[in-house]
Amino acid sequence: MANTKTDEKLQKIAKDLLESGEVSLVIGYAKGSNLQRMRPVFITKAEDAGKLSFNPHAVQDLAVFLKKPEVKKFGKIGIVVKGCDEKAVNALIQEYQISRDNIKIIGMECNGVIRQSLADKGETNLSESAVYDKCLICEEHIPVLYDFLIESEEPKLVLSGNVKPYSGIEKLESMSAEEKNAFWAKEFDKCIKCYACRQACPLCYCSRCIVEKNMPQWIDTNSEETGNAQWNLIRAYHLSGRCIGCGECERACPVNIPLMLINEKMAKDVYNMFGYKSGLDINAKPVFGVFSESDFNDFIK
Amino acid sequence: MEDKDVKKEEHKGRKHVEDSQGDPRIIAFVCNWCTYSGADLAGTSRMKYSDNVRVIKLPCTGRIDPLFIVEAFKKGAKGVLVSGCHPGDCHYTSGNYHSRRKYATFRDLLGYLGVDLDRVEFSWVSASEGNKWVSIINEFTDKIKSLPGKSTDIFTKK
Repeated sequence: MANTKTDEKLQKIAKDLLESGEVSLVIGYAKGSNLQRMRPVFITKAEDAGKLSFNPHAVQDLAVFLKKPEVKKFGKIGIVVKGCDEKAVNALIQEYQISRDNIKIIGMECNGVIRQSLADKGETNLSESAVYDKCLICEEHIPVLYDFLIESEEPKLVLSGNVKPYSGIEKLESMSAEEKNAFWAKEFDKCIKCYACRQACPLCYCSRCIVEKNMPQWIDTNSEETGNAQWNLIRAYHLSGRCIGCGECERACPVNIPLMLINEKMAKDVYNMFGYKSGLDINAKPVFGVFSESDFNDFIK
Repeated sequence: MEDKDVKKEEHKGRKHVEDSQGDPRIIAFVCNWCTYSGADLAGTSRMKYSDNVRVIKLPCTGRIDPLFIVEAFKKGAKGVLVSGCHPGDCHYTSGNYHSRRKYATFRDLLGYLGVDLDRVEFSWVSASEGNKWVSIINEFTDKIKSLPGKSTDIFTKK
């Protein structure tokens, strides 16, 4: 397939960066095995820049690679990001995982990405019902921080308001404790403890995860109901106030646990209580790294 | 008596012990400097409070990881109390402020995942508040006892 204008701009930027030696690696998207799939690509030579491409099928959050030691050793890195992924880069900078000086952000204006499940059935048009929920509530179609910006040729997403993003949250909030319990017990029962959610998450970067600590063993490693609930609860807790809502955990989950219903709920609660949204400002302190004397105190006797 | 019967008897015996030690069980995670001293004051003043509670002392509320609460539920506790110094009184200056932020969020998460929020309690009890400690424990025990028997959570083995 021919290169689009977006692709050309993207390739030129990557080529210049690599040629001038400003970066030694560019992480981006390349066309996948079929038209509806994109795959991550790692470009180290300027002549390979032609592989880079971008379209509404670029669902992956490439910021996840920034946490890998084998990527970090390249030193200066260029990365192609959508608005949501860029927030993950910001959060990593905020938490001193990467340095702003070592990263060149190639921001893509993005009007939404098409659900992979629909794309595989041939969906190619951006529409309200075809994109992920995160795209419907997206406020960062243009990344908040970038070194280069490539504008989108795609039409803006038209929202009629008929599709309610994350409607499950309201439904769950109105349930009784027992109904919620039953709902989550059923969902977590499916969990096979593959930790794909953790691997796909750009912010799960601990070199030794709590689930791998066995003195003491906090979380049962066998995949049965009780340990599953613990794992999913603790992961959600470790991400509250940090999750940037890229939705990669849910996309990676092989048994389709609606993980974003938890992460989005926590993001909402943290915003309501502390007025903090994750990944918007590299100079902001992480919400649980600071406190205020006037914090929410109602639940304490 | 056959072996099987002996085992049964033993089992009964154990059950009896559990009952006498207070069922439902409540776990209280308290900080060393304020709440533990408060509980100590209640004890030395010979004030009586419910024996359902088991007190676990930690240096600071900031050290009380939400994992501890989950672990207590998993091991069968019906209620969990977290208690520390009043805001501004932390021995380590800010441990309780940090934990307040953490617990505000964690409590929401627990509730969202279907844990009855009557089963978790947070309080500030200073070293001079033996009375407050006694009333918090007694009220919390009553609340736990009044919960419907089937109130379960996703952490306990079924």
